[in-house]
Amino acid sequence: MNEAVVQVRNLEKRYGPVTAVGGVSFDVVRGEIFGILGPNGAGKTTTLEMIEGLRRPDGGAAVVDGIDVGKNPRGVRGRIGVQLQEAGFFDRLSVEETLRLFGSFHRRRAPVDGLIERLQLTEKRRSWAGTLSGGQRQRLSIAVALVNDPLIIFLDEPTTGLDPQARRNLWDVIAGFRREGRTVILTTHYMEEAERLCDRVAIMDHGRIVALDSPRALIRAHAPATTIGVTLTGGAADFAALPGVRRVEQSNGEVLLSSSDPLQTVHALMDLNRAGAVHFHQLRVEEATLEDVFLHLTGRRLRE
Amino acid sequence: MSAFLMTVYMSFKHYFRDRSSIFWGMVFPLLLMGLIGLAFGRGGELSFRVGFVSSGGPVAEGIRRGLGEVVVFQVTEETDEAAALEELRRGRRTLVIVVPPAGSGAPLRVYFDRARVQESQTALVILERFVAEANLRLAGAEPMVRIEATPMAATPRLRFFDFLLPGILAMTVMNTGLNGVTWVMTEYRKNLILKRVLTTPVHPFAFIGGLVARWAVTNLVQLAVIIIIALLAFNATIVGSLWTIAALAILGTLAFVGMGFAISTVSKTPESANLLGSVLSFPMMFLAGTFWPREFMPAFLQPVISALPLTPLVEVMRGVAARGEPVALYLPGLLYIAAWGVASFLVTAWRFKWE
Repeated sequence: MNEAVVQVRNLEKRYGPVTAVGGVSFDVVRGEIFGILGPNGAGKTTTLEMIEGLRRPDGGAAVVDGIDVGKNPRGVRGRIGVQLQEAGFFDRLSVEETLRLFGSFHRRRAPVDGLIERLQLTEKRRSWAGTLSGGQRQRLSIAVALVNDPLIIFLDEPTTGLDPQARRNLWDVIAGFRREGRTVILTTHYMEEAERLCDRVAIMDHGRIVALDSPRALIRAHAPATTIGVTLTGGAADFAALPGVRRVEQSNGEVLLSSSDPLQTVHALMDLNRAGAVHFHQLRVEEATLEDVFLHLTGRRLRE
Repeated sequence: MSAFLMTVYMSFKHYFRDRSSIFWGMVFPLLLMGLIGLAFGRGGELSFRVGFVSSGGPVAEGIRRGLGEVVVFQVTEETDEAAALEELRRGRRTLVIVVPPAGSGAPLRVYFDRARVQESQTALVILERFVAEANLRLAGAEPMVRIEATPMAATPRLRFFDFLLPGILAMTVMNTGLNGVTWVMTEYRKNLILKRVLTTPVHPFAFIGGLVARWAVTNLVQLAVIIIIALLAFNATIVGSLWTIAALAILGTLAFVGMGFAISTVSKTPESANLLGSVLSFPMMFLAGTFWPREFMPAFLQPVISALPLTPLVEVMRGVAARGEPVALYLPGLLYIAAWGVASFLVTAWRFKWE
């Protein structure tokens, strides 16, 4: 069950004096959705493309489904599905023609009708690729990655540039791959996407993996504090002295409390309110996110 | 279907759905042919337009009738001299003949266009002979020497469109490579279509070979359309074998598509690749004997013209299509074209990038 279908060891890529990827290692287990999360320029795409055999690494190795990518890149490409970020199509070929053309490039072929249906492109089947909307293009791009019915699928920023509706739509499609026992490796700079979709997440920054675990475990380990926001209408108190509170900040008229024990802190706040020491008309509790993990690990936000 | 055949089929569809490539590949060559034919193609049959001005009288009437019998003269009667000279100035007449009033004893006045020396001089010679004969007749003398001219067609009789058509065919083959391939390949690269192909296990020979084959098919279709329209609309004739012309088109495709590929490997953007292609194809189009015999160009350019890869293609196309000569006569030229093709594909293999 826990068989590693992708093994990455010390992959390195340099462009002149710039190190794009500086020694990245991880395993991807069969059937999981593995996310690489990081800001733009962190080296996510370069890492992915070295595993896919599109880019030659300057050091290290990747083994995909038992095949060494460096030795047999074409062998690997036959077994994986690759969706590229922002890659174009033959504008004047229809959805169906595009899938038939790319299908002809593989030995193993998934039925075109099934792909069209699964990616909800039935109505667009005869439309030229150049006339599709952003979401439709992205779905066609994923359909092209599936033409060889691959068990391992690489998706590079699959939902970038999509509206929330189209994004949720694609998440369903990607989650469907896991149900079919396929393995998915995706990159993203949306922490919500990584949290909702991925079984495990590697957080990448400046060409290195700074943390790797399940989203829950990452949050527990690196951003244990829950944020409690209180909007006061009167009174004052020494919030820092409340149980569980580690840090107090003011932001837009709201007092933000970082708490390691949110239950105790909220109880204490309610007591203060009841005693009349402070009055507040709003209280919200916000779980820590991967964004907080990234902030904690790098001192920066994901998107700045 | 195999990757190769599917690439040929789909990329041809992709081409055929693009109106601008249809224009450049078929409409433009035909347009050029029609326009150049209009400008230069009239030399085929000798004919002069003569304006005729007279104030009447039996002698003037006799001259008019006599001129009317000269086959190469199209005589138009004009009412006044000024109007007739205006027509001459506008280039609508070769000569204007003004007959003086009867009994004045003044000579026939003839006006001609100084700019069209050759044409005017020929017409004048004919007119002088006509006048001499008229004088003899008026004097009642029997001519001692007569000429009997029998028309004979030189074989093969080369009319202008027959000369022009092979040049247009060669030019079309060149443009597919230098203007079509350069744009398409850099566009595919810029849009990451080539990179998308690279993510599949397809062998580069199958995909690139498929594209080359589709350009060969494209050229054959373009040439067929041009030939059919040239035969029907321009009344052009082709003496040689159409199969040989097709084979020459394929050889030309390999050479010029190869050059297009080579150019696309050194250019970063579709615009710069297309510009470079045009910089090469445009002068070649006018120098290589495409539209008029290369001998029309000055002597110092002749070595340059000989070195252009389009020149031998035009020459062999014209030899086969217009004169029905065997291909073997042009072997050195064919080898030269092939050498350009081989060199271009070597550059491509060395420099080609998928992204």
